[in-house]
Amino acid sequence: MLLQSHDLTKSFGGLVAVNQLSLKVEKGTILGIIGPNGSGKTTFFNLITGMLPSDSGKVIFNGQEITKLRPHRIARLGVGRTFQIPAPFSKMTVLENVMVSAFLHTSSMKTAKKKAEEVLKKVDLDEKADFQVLNVTLEDRKRLELARALAIEPILLLLDEVMSGLTPVEVKSAINLIKQMHRQGLTIIVVEHVMDVILSLCDRVAVLDYRRKIAEDTPQKIVNHPEVIRAYLGERYRARG
Amino acid sequence: MPLKNGHTQPHTSASSWRWALLGLALLIAFLLPWPLSPLWIRIATEVIMWAGLAQSWNIIGGYTGYLSFGHGAFFGVGAYMTGIVMLHLGWPFALGILISGIAAALMAVIIGYPTLRLRGAYFAIATWAFGEMIRQIATILEITGGAFGMQLPAYLNLPFFYYLFLLVTGLTYLTTYLLLERSPFGYKLLAIREHEEAAEMVGVDTVIIKIKAFALSAFFPGVLGGIYAYWVTYIHPDSVLGAQLTDFMVVMAFLGGIGSLWGPFLGAVVVQLVNRVLWLVWGEGTFYLVIIGAAICAVVLFIPSGIIGLLQSRIFLPGTAWKEIRKKVKW
Repeated sequence: MLLQSHDLTKSFGGLVAVNQLSLKVEKGTILGIIGPNGSGKTTFFNLITGMLPSDSGKVIFNGQEITKLRPHRIARLGVGRTFQIPAPFSKMTVLENVMVSAFLHTSSMKTAKKKAEEVLKKVDLDEKADFQVLNVTLEDRKRLELARALAIEPILLLLDEVMSGLTPVEVKSAINLIKQMHRQGLTIIVVEHVMDVILSLCDRVAVLDYRRKIAEDTPQKIVNHPEVIRAYLGERYRARG
Repeated sequence: MPLKNGHTQPHTSASSWRWALLGLALLIAFLLPWPLSPLWIRIATEVIMWAGLAQSWNIIGGYTGYLSFGHGAFFGVGAYMTGIVMLHLGWPFALGILISGIAAALMAVIIGYPTLRLRGAYFAIATWAFGEMIRQIATILEITGGAFGMQLPAYLNLPFFYYLFLLVTGLTYLTTYLLLERSPFGYKLLAIREHEEAAEMVGVDTVIIKIKAFALSAFFPGVLGGIYAYWVTYIHPDSVLGAQLTDFMVVMAFLGGIGSLWGPFLGAVVVQLVNRVLWLVWGEGTFYLVIIGAAICAVVLFIPSGIIGLLQSRIFLPGTAWKEIRKKVKW
């Protein structure tokens, strides 16, 4: 088991954002997390990466408890994440953005640059390496998010709605990209609203509703799960399963 | 210059042109004291000192994005430290300024550890309060001479101080160039400035990096303060710990262009020269503050990236600058 959360809970004042969430991710698999807006998906990522302190519960990554670790320590252990709304270092070039990640493993400018160029090639962004981030499109910013996360050489990758705002063609190429990274041995958790993405990518799917996990199963079974259909999918998806 | 806004591709011809310009500027700086009268040597010395102070502020304020409004305190601590070391301990001046720099840096570490978690206005207020605190302490302590200040042994050698300031200020620019423009440390600082959470997510230990930057940006004002104390020989809380010290560092850095290597230098030259010329024309007074205030308003409104931004965007050609301004302002 690469990642496990036990009864993870987080509330903001009186509002419970994540309620006793227990999830397991097997090494080498892709877990999808779906659920309506406000069901605690992004908060769950923020708890795993240490961006938010949890109220109670535990996170175990690669056999080590990481619940109380600071974010940069968790990143160093091999947890990479992308932000739902791209959060680039705006006044730097695309290449420099990725170099910041590469400095995690090297303090040589040359090595970092080479590493960053490699990663940019992987996400098909190498031609825009010298662009200022301010001058690239949303799709490219999403690719940059991915490149920055990949350049820390993660074992586990958390993707927070990387598809939102992309055109169908762009979504297709993004899916291929994620599949390719998966084949290279990455374990991935995907938060996504686009069901087709979840169906074509994930080995297992967890469904959150009202801050709780209401179901966890294979994609085929999830789309026929009565409570999931009621809470999130709607009748449309039942026939397809 | 990969970290500059705008142009990212290094042009060989442009960069060799830059080195030639830098060489010429250094040559002029070395020869400057010969043709100048003592008054103008003093003014040139001040300009160079301010260029160093503005750059020091730029390390934390420009590159890291944390606006420190207590930076004058590091200068003052440096000045008093050298005074104490020379006067009470009888140690040599060189040792004094070294101790001054280290004391200022240590103080930055102690102050930075709790305050660097605050962002924006809160950090500014916290550092401002720290600066005031240091001034009050200097006013009541016996070892600093209280409100009367301190009289250091006089060493009347203008060129000596000119060259010493030139050396230390030169070191601030060299350090900025090597550590902030050309090393992982600088990249991490920019990442923190642009998006602190994202920087943490890619493994940047933001706490340590910020404290290092703050200590570095305090070290040089400490040293410069020490030299200043020996130069002017008489220091008191208002002269080396007044709020104006911080204000001018901030103003110079902003006017020249924050987060750039040469912006603070240009800002210091312009502000201090204007300051002194107005002083020569009108004598002692505070009217120059009005003019400088108006200049700041103009910078914030029309050229937020400072003089250096104007030069880099190449709109500073006859006619085009005016057109740019016309475009931005609805008359």
